[in-house]
Amino acid sequence: MTFSRRNFLKAGFLSSAVFLMDGCSLFGVTTPIKTFAILHHDLFPYAQELGIDTALYMQRVFHHSRISEADKTFLKNGVKWLNEEALSQYKKEYTKLSLAQREALLLHVSKTEWGESFVYDVMNYMFEAMLGDPVYGGNNKEAGWQWLNFQGGQPRPQKAYM
Amino acid sequence: MVDVCIIGSGAGGSPIAYELANAGFDVVVLEKGANYTEDDFTKDEIGVTRRDMFTPPLSEQKHIINEYQADGTFTRYDGEESGWSFWNGSMVGGSSNLMSGYFHRLKPNDFKLKSVYGVIKGANVVDWPISYEELEPYYDKVEKVVGVSGKIVKHKHLEPRSSEDLPYPELQTNGAVQWFDRTCKALGYEAIPTPRAILSQNALGRNGCYYSNFCGSYGCASGAKGSGRAALLQKCSAKIITDAFVYRLESDDKKVTRAYYYTKKGIRHSVQAKIFVVAAQAIETSRLLLNSKNRYFPNGLANSSGEVGKNLIFSAGGSGSGRFVFEKLTPQQQKELMEVGVFFNRSLQDWYAYEKETKQYKGGTIDFLFEHQNIISRVMREVYDENGNLLWGEKLKEKLHKRLTTSRVLTFEVFNDWLPTDKCFVGVDEKVKDKYGVPVGVINLYGHPHDLAVGEHLAQKAVKVLEKLGCEEISYSISSAPPPNLVAGGCRFGNDAKTSVLDKNCKAHDLQNLYVADASFMPTGGSVPYTWSIYANSFRVADVIKKELQG
Repeated sequence: MTFSRRNFLKAGFLSSAVFLMDGCSLFGVTTPIKTFAILHHDLFPYAQELGIDTALYMQRVFHHSRISEADKTFLKNGVKWLNEEALSQYKKEYTKLSLAQREALLLHVSKTEWGESFVYDVMNYMFEAMLGDPVYGGNNKEAGWQWLNFQGGQPRPQKAYM
Repeated sequence: MVDVCIIGSGAGGSPIAYELANAGFDVVVLEKGANYTEDDFTKDEIGVTRRDMFTPPLSEQKHIINEYQADGTFTRYDGEESGWSFWNGSMVGGSSNLMSGYFHRLKPNDFKLKSVYGVIKGANVVDWPISYEELEPYYDKVEKVVGVSGKIVKHKHLEPRSSEDLPYPELQTNGAVQWFDRTCKALGYEAIPTPRAILSQNALGRNGCYYSNFCGSYGCASGAKGSGRAALLQKCSAKIITDAFVYRLESDDKKVTRAYYYTKKGIRHSVQAKIFVVAAQAIETSRLLLNSKNRYFPNGLANSSGEVGKNLIFSAGGSGSGRFVFEKLTPQQQKELMEVGVFFNRSLQDWYAYEKETKQYKGGTIDFLFEHQNIISRVMREVYDENGNLLWGEKLKEKLHKRLTTSRVLTFEVFNDWLPTDKCFVGVDEKVKDKYGVPVGVINLYGHPHDLAVGEHLAQKAVKVLEKLGCEEISYSISSAPPPNLVAGGCRFGNDAKTSVLDKNCKAHDLQNLYVADASFMPTGGSVPYTWSIYANSFRVADVIKKELQG
C-alpha cells in the first residue's frame, strides 16, 4: 500500500488531540486512545487482569475498510461528547476523573440516546478485541476464550481481515 | 462462441455447469466474486460474520429498499445508510458455501397450492406447471451427487421418495437430542432427523464433516458441506471467470447474443454463447433482466409479460429460543449439553398442513438447532440487564461467566410460505447506481398477514416443546422481516406467456436461448429452505439444455 496523506491522517487519529470546547472557549485537550484505554478499563477491568490489551485494537477499528465512515465518526464524536460531559459536570476531562466520578458519569451518559449507543459500540469493539481470534492482536494467548471455556474453531485465520 | 454462458456460480448455476461441462460442452461461468479454496475458510468470527468479508461493501454496491407500511405507503431505505444488506455470498459457489445445509424437499402439495388450498385474498398463489413427481428424480440425484446425510423416518407428511433412505448416515448429535426426542414423543409429535447437505464420512472425493462447531455462515474447510463449489464446480472443466460482474445481456428479438461484464477495475468484457443461463440469486437476476432492456424488449429482457421482478418471495416465519440451565440438569446431563461441535439436527413437520376452525391451512417446517457458537455475538446479547440497562464491570463479568459456561440456548426456526403479492417485487432505481455505474436493484417488501398467522401457529408448537424440555427464558418472534438468504421468485415459471416469465423448463417465453436457473422461477416457495429445490430444479434444467444442444 502506498503511504498516502490520507492514510497518514487516519493513522494519526487515535493519538491526535481532541479539542474540547466548553461553550465557545477551549477547555481541554485529550487523545482518543487515552479515553478508550480508561473507558475499556472502566467497562471491563477483567480484560486487563487476563493480560488483554483491548484499547490498541481501536487502531484496527479506525483503519478497517469494512467499518463505515459514519460508524467511525460516531465513535470519534462519542469520545468528544463523553469528555465534554466530564468537563461540564466535573471541570475535568474523563481520563482525569476519579473511578467513582467516571462510574457516575457512565451511568449518566448510558441513559442518554447517544451515550447508550456509544457505550454499546465501545463494548462491541472491546469484546471483539478480547474474544476475537488472537491474530487481531487482543485475546492474549486465548485468555478470553479460556475464561469462557471456549475453544475457537479450526482452521484459524493466519492474518487479520482488514 | 461458447456453448453455454452461466451468470452466477451458486446453487442455481453450478449444477448446469457440472452437467454440461461433463457432457463435453464448452461452458463459461461468470462470477462476480472471488474464488476461495478450503484453506481460506477459517473460523474468523470478526472477518466472516462481523466485517462481512464474503459480501460486497454497501458503500460500493447496495439496494434501495421500500418497506410497505400499514397506511399504504412505502418507507424508503438506502441500503448503505441503513446498513440493510441483501447480499449473501459473492464468491465461487455463491452463498451455498455459507449455508447451514438444512435440506428438506418440497412436498407434492407445494406444487399445487391454489388447487389444494384455494385462493387467498391479496395473494397471487398459482399452481406450478410441473408436479412433484417431475422433480423427484432430481431431488434424488442431489442426494447422491451433492451428498445429503441423515435418516429418513416415516411421518405423516413425508413426501414420496424413489430411494428408501439418504445415501449418507446421520451426522453425530449432542446428547440433549435424546431429551428432545423423548419430549416430542410424550407430546405426540414426530421428531425427525434433519437431512443435511453435509457429508458424514469421506465420500465423493471430499472429506467428511470434522465438526468444527462453526458451520452456518462460514465456509467449510473440509469440503463436507455440499456447496456448489465443493460438490460440483471443482468436479468439472467449466471455465470460471471470477471478478466478472454481468451488467447487461444483449439480444435481438429472438436470442440473447452477448453477456457484458465489468471487472473490479471497470474493464469491460463480453462473452458470446449459444445458450445463456442467469442464476445471480433472485433479486440480482431480475435486476439484470430489467437493466438489459433494449429496442426489442423496452421493459426489460424477457419481460413482454411485465412479470419480471414481480412476486418476489422470501421465507416467512421467524425464530425463537429457550435456555437449558445447569440448575435443572444432572452433572451427566450438564456435560452432554456442553459438548460442542456435534449437531442438534431435529425438525418437526407435523404441521406442514393443518386444520384450524374447520379450515385447511398450509403450514410449514420447524428446525431446531443450538444457538450459533459465535462468542462475540453471544457476549453482546448479554450486555443489558432485565430492565434494559447496559451492564458493565463486575456485574457483567459475573453474568457472562455464568451464562456462557452453565447454560446453553436451543433455538428454533420456523419456515412457512411467504405468499406472493403485488406489493413484494424487484425494480431498478434509475438514479442510484453502484460502483460500476449500473442502476441498483429496488426491493419492495410486503408480508401477507396470512404468513404471520401460520408462523404464529407453528411457533406456539415449538414453544410447547421448549417448555416441556424445561427450558427457561422462552421467547420467539414471528415477523414480516425478510431473511435475505431465503429469497426466491421474480421470474415465475408457468404455461401462459402472458402471466409468467419462464416456461416449465425455465426458458424465457420471449427468447429462444435464455434460461433462468436460480430460485427466481418459483411462483410459490414452499415451507422449507430453498437450496435443495434450487439444486434439483437446476439439474432438471441442465437435462433440458443438454437435449437442446445435442439437437
